[in-house]
Amino acid sequence: MNAFGLIQVGLILSSTTIISSLQCNHLPLQQRKVIENSLRLLDKMGKKFPQQCLREKMPFRFPAQVLQPRQKETVGVAIEEIFRHIFYIFSKNLTLTAWDGTALDQFQNGLYLQIEQLEACVIKKHTQHRWSKEVSRLKLKKYFQKMDCFLKDKQHDLCSWEISRAEMRRCLQLIDKITRKL
Amino acid sequence: SFLQLQSKNIFPVDSIDDLAPDSTYCFKVQANLPMEGKQGLFSPISCVRTTQKVTDLLCAANLSVLALNMKFQLLWNNLGNQEVNYTVQYLHGFQKKLNDHSDKWRSVPSCENITSTCCNFSSIITTTGFYYLRVQASKGHNQSCFSREIRVEPLKTNGIGPPGVRLDLSDALLHILISPPGGAEDEIMRDHYDLSYRILYWKNSSDKEEEVKQKEVKQTIATVPDVSPSTLYCVKVQAFSELYNKSSAYSQQQCIHTPAGTSLPLMIFGIFVGALLVVLLVAAPLVFVLYQAYNKIKYVFFPSCQPPLNIEGFGAQPFSSPYLAAAEEPVENCCVIESMITEEGNQIDFTDYKHSQRSSRDSGNYSNDNNSSGSKGSKETLEKEII
Repeated sequence: MNAFGLIQVGLILSSTTIISSLQCNHLPLQQRKVIENSLRLLDKMGKKFPQQCLREKMPFRFPAQVLQPRQKETVGVAIEEIFRHIFYIFSKNLTLTAWDGTALDQFQNGLYLQIEQLEACVIKKHTQHRWSKEVSRLKLKKYFQKMDCFLKDKQHDLCSWEISRAEMRRCLQLIDKITRKL
Repeated sequence: SFLQLQSKNIFPVDSIDDLAPDSTYCFKVQANLPMEGKQGLFSPISCVRTTQKVTDLLCAANLSVLALNMKFQLLWNNLGNQEVNYTVQYLHGFQKKLNDHSDKWRSVPSCENITSTCCNFSSIITTTGFYYLRVQASKGHNQSCFSREIRVEPLKTNGIGPPGVRLDLSDALLHILISPPGGAEDEIMRDHYDLSYRILYWKNSSDKEEEVKQKEVKQTIATVPDVSPSTLYCVKVQAFSELYNKSSAYSQQQCIHTPAGTSLPLMIFGIFVGALLVVLLVAAPLVFVLYQAYNKIKYVFFPSCQPPLNIEGFGAQPFSSPYLAAAEEPVENCCVIESMITEEGNQIDFTDYKHSQRSSRDSGNYSNDNNSSGSKGSKETLEKEII
């Protein structure tokens, strides 16, 4: 006789149990900390903006209206989406930059945890749904897509990365200012 | 046999632990885009049968994390009781998202090739981020085993230590001074947890049970008003974070004895009498000095004594000067006139001279000359001369 047919359950990992027992109250505070840390790490990972790259400045225009939506609750979700885009961009080929690997890892790690935690928060689910219908969301996608294409066209060379890093810094600073007001 | 459906969010390359031995498990996977609110279709089902449970005595087992005030320690068991060397490795959480992350594992500094079954890995921890840890057990050159991975989310895993407490007394107030866990120099605890403090205080008397009172504050200073005199008060404090639903152990109990107090009405009376004395001592000489000054000023500028009566009018008309020319009094025009006999025989009256002149002729002494025919004419000439 074997124990065939008896599937042991150590922990009942049904999705509803996990999500309802998760606490989401700490997310806004954590979000502010992630933004602060990300700014610090962006500075730490590379050196000063190289002079030779000034010629190649690409006029990215961040759609600031995405952070002033009609419903205030969607700002949190909008910020998470921005984190997601930034995480995706910084996952690309960075070998030509020779940036500090530890700082880069910590930067990515902070963003990713925040993204993952928001996904798990059921409280925000209906807000996410509302956010997915926002018009300014498409402008946001276009902005990051422009940056992605820019990097691809320049074959991820140092100048294209430095320009993108400066742009991300500007973007996070704007988010930092908005979240402090909330 | 009965089925129990379980679901788990997994990374592209992941493992599921704690399966029962000698059982068949079936799996299906679904890809989601949570931000879009989209869910994909499930993959085809694939089943696998688990084998007999084999415990490799070399491997480190029962991994656990002990964390207090952001100091992290990994603990495990050595089941084999053999001479084993351990190396603790860590991975940044997001790297699991990469398909091949086997080369991304790094050793924790100061936990390489150690023989003890604990490792302090605080040096690799940052507050924003999450990590996976595993222990590589090795014996000799060819035997090696990786333990299970344990996931660490620093702020969630970390425990809050008890705060420090100091007591102070002033008047009828008991001051409770709290030093946050992690020390004054370490801002991490306060910064990330948004700490609040729960204070329990009570009167410690040997004869009867006193009620324990509770107070919750956000600041590191709290005050208990209206403490009774000659009483022993005891306090203990707990730090807690509402956001993370965590609380620390209670601090050591601190007690303080309130001094014997004077009765309040007596104190009030004493203060009143003292104030009264001060007022009298200060106010009386001041009033006296002011009165003297007033008298002097009045004497000099507004004297009250009267001038002698024989100087009449003195002071009555302060602006009239005796030396000023008085209003002209009617003065008689006096002149020596010889007595004249007029035709009419009227007596010349001095006071009525002008009048009488009209009726009488003049002597001719003063008449001028023209022998004017009318008497009036010559009189008029005389009048003119005199005037």
